[in-house]
Amino acid sequence: MSRGVLATEKRGIRELGAEEFVGWDEVTHGVILPSFEGELKENVSHIRPEERDYSDFNSYTATVASWRVIKPVYNRDICIDCQNCWVWCPDTSIISRDKQMLGIDYDHCKGCGVCVEVCPTNPKSLLMFGEAEEIEDALAKWPEKKKKAK
Amino acid sequence: MAEKMELKEVEVWDGNYAASQALRQAQVDVVSAYPITPSTPIVENYGAYVANGYVDGEFVMVESEHAAMSGCVGAAAAGGRVATATSSQGFALMVEVLYQASGMRLPIVMTVVNRALASPLNVRGDHGDMYLGRDSGWVQIDAFNAQEAYDLTLCAFKIGEDMRVRLPVMMHQDGFLTSHTAQNVHPLSDDEAYKFVGDYKPYEEMLDFTKPVTYGAQTEEDWHYEHKARQHKALMESKDVIDEVFAEFKKLTGREYKRVESYMMDDAEVAIVALGTTVETARVAADQLREEGIKAGVVAPRCFRPFPFDEMRDALENTKAIAVLDRSAPMGAMGALFNEVSAALYTTPNRPLVTNFIYGLGGRDFSVEEAKRIFKEQKAHADAGHITTPIQQFSGVRGPKLGFFETKRGN
Amino acid sequence: MAITNIKNLKEFSTANERFEGAHLLCPGCAHSMIVRELMNATDDNLVIASNTGCLEVSTAVYPYTSWDTSWIHIGFENAATAVAGAEAMYKARKRKGTLKDPDAPVKFVAFGGDGSTYDIGFQWLSGAVERGHDFTYICLDNENYANTGGQRSSATPIGAHTSTAQAGRVSYGKKEKKKDMVAIMAAHGAPYVAQLAPNKWKIMAKGFQKALETEGPCFINTVSACTTEWKFDPKDTIHLTDLATDTLMFPIYEIINGHELNILYRPKNIIPVEEYLAAQGRYKHLFKPENRHVIEQIQKEINEKWEYLQRREEARV
Repeated sequence: MSRGVLATEKRGIRELGAEEFVGWDEVTHGVILPSFEGELKENVSHIRPEERDYSDFNSYTATVASWRVIKPVYNRDICIDCQNCWVWCPDTSIISRDKQMLGIDYDHCKGCGVCVEVCPTNPKSLLMFGEAEEIEDALAKWPEKKKKAK
Repeated sequence: MAEKMELKEVEVWDGNYAASQALRQAQVDVVSAYPITPSTPIVENYGAYVANGYVDGEFVMVESEHAAMSGCVGAAAAGGRVATATSSQGFALMVEVLYQASGMRLPIVMTVVNRALASPLNVRGDHGDMYLGRDSGWVQIDAFNAQEAYDLTLCAFKIGEDMRVRLPVMMHQDGFLTSHTAQNVHPLSDDEAYKFVGDYKPYEEMLDFTKPVTYGAQTEEDWHYEHKARQHKALMESKDVIDEVFAEFKKLTGREYKRVESYMMDDAEVAIVALGTTVETARVAADQLREEGIKAGVVAPRCFRPFPFDEMRDALENTKAIAVLDRSAPMGAMGALFNEVSAALYTTPNRPLVTNFIYGLGGRDFSVEEAKRIFKEQKAHADAGHITTPIQQFSGVRGPKLGFFETKRGN
Repeated sequence: MAITNIKNLKEFSTANERFEGAHLLCPGCAHSMIVRELMNATDDNLVIASNTGCLEVSTAVYPYTSWDTSWIHIGFENAATAVAGAEAMYKARKRKGTLKDPDAPVKFVAFGGDGSTYDIGFQWLSGAVERGHDFTYICLDNENYANTGGQRSSATPIGAHTSTAQAGRVSYGKKEKKKDMVAIMAAHGAPYVAQLAPNKWKIMAKGFQKALETEGPCFINTVSACTTEWKFDPKDTIHLTDLATDTLMFPIYEIINGHELNILYRPKNIIPVEEYLAAQGRYKHLFKPENRHVIEQIQKEINEKWEYLQRREEARV
């Protein structure tokens, strides 16, 4: 995905549980976690995620990619930008900007498959493939339009 | 704008009224509270101040004590001054939230009017509730009379809100004995009191939308210990801020408070250690016994948490025999105060003779005569060079004499 | 207040997310869909409290938070009171002029699972609603104590298997009826209460907006299909929710000021509840001959409830 909309593209990303185990003198005061570095210049709902200064404590900077055994692959050519997958993704992993689908955030996607189920196109614009499958290979294997059973 | 009250130079207030006046003068932003005997008049008085325009903040009359402390936590995290009051069963009901409040480092002030815990149900004063909250992570200070209930409530805000502390603070007073006993109180004026307490300074507040914060995260075995250690350190080091605040208060009023209050201990041979109104009873008894030639003294850990380990040891290490009085049903062990005092004295070269008295449960009266009797028993230990009674006794209970555990020392 | 007047999903999708990924919720969890629909339905600042439960435990494990707004978790029962305290502090500080940005719009929201809402936190919710705090309480109803492995709550429906009210040789699972929290909250005098579902995203988003805009305490029960404890494939969460709403197991409606009831969704074809039950492992024992009567009972109660809702809507009471 281009346009620099992912955490990895901007700043790198860490595995959950791989953080450095600091001592009592370095843990946060009162177990309080700040969502961002420094001060937000405006209401956060007016700032696109890729423009926010996330703190290291924000889960945005972590990855759950290792949870997947299968992954969704996105086919831009078939997609109609209906945003079904966007609204129902439990992991904020369908990236949409200016009413256009950009694709999948593979750092945060857990491979649940909801996006595929709710995709209305025929053939679907999202399909599940093995985690190890290359995107190009998956796209090359895309099924044809299903005929309605009489 | 809240109206000010003109107060006289000397008012006649009971401990409850004194505490409620201190809350009013501190200009608390949110009081989230529930009534329970004997602290009810605190919230009632506060309600009267609210209804008559003396309070600018919010008064949230919640549906239980657990909700009272929960509301306090939410309000404190939203960045303002917060206070409440409770006793006994209410205190017990909110215990889990006490731990949550201190873990989240929220400076909340709570006046606890000490009352016994059921069963059986009892509304009178004893320290069962105070002891229940021992490990909850709050700074805890004890008032022995109505003047102290007023003074120490004001100090509590300043201590808890200090940036080096940021912890909740309890101000204890004896149920009925202090809370419902009218005494002379010298209050500060509204302006002086607020100036002493100062403006609330927010820190990591939820209403600063430029810096959203998450409160109440979970920690498992990888992180929990570090957070608790950090919190413990803050509580232990709060003693320095407490001393500073007490010093500042002395400059302002002439009234001096210490984390350990020692009375005639310079040459004391025998001592009583106690909390609450019993401290004053013991002092009267000590005065009378001095006239009989018995060198009696009284020590009170006014700052119950953080426990003034060093100062208690220093105050008592040269005494020969000490009776530690616990006003709480010990249920299977020595009294809590006895244990803490004994621990402080254990490593001293002299190792005084220390015994435990359970007394005053459920509001049972503790007289000057009984204090004198206990002092004299200490004298007997001191003269014999060893403890001549069981280590733990029950003072003031009807029925055959109750005593537990002997000591291997002596004879 | 709203980012837009949510005309369609494309407009809705222009919202800037405030609920971040890499949380620990199960793949396919509906909690997250509901939280995202709420947070994207408004661009006001939010102060959010969560009871202990799946949502809380999965989104704030030190050293990570998935929340881009201020958020607090105290304990299992007291999110409603936490937010009530924060709301009171907001009012006090606004009056005293000590807020950093007094003009910034803010809404107070509490989340709780059915366990914390219907059971252990009931009193706290009741008190906060009775006192009239200006906040919205959203119950994420997955009909069990999912976070701790699927124990029964008073939101568990008749006939469901849970790890405490189990289906076994001599039992068909939970015997007690599900508590009607929407009615209970309406009876408290809450100005706006509703039951919503994340599959009907537009109704849900508009319902959330209405609750946030309504001054006073609002309560919304949401159906949160739980792949782990209801026992269905994670990819089928929306399909299950469709069955829930189209069988009328979860009718979608609102009650304004306690007496104006509006049904917000009428299925084109009402599906027999058997199809919904058959799609979940927690109900599979009901298909044994000796338990069939429970399915009939469930269908009967759904029919009665639907009849009741329609009559109230008609009578405008």
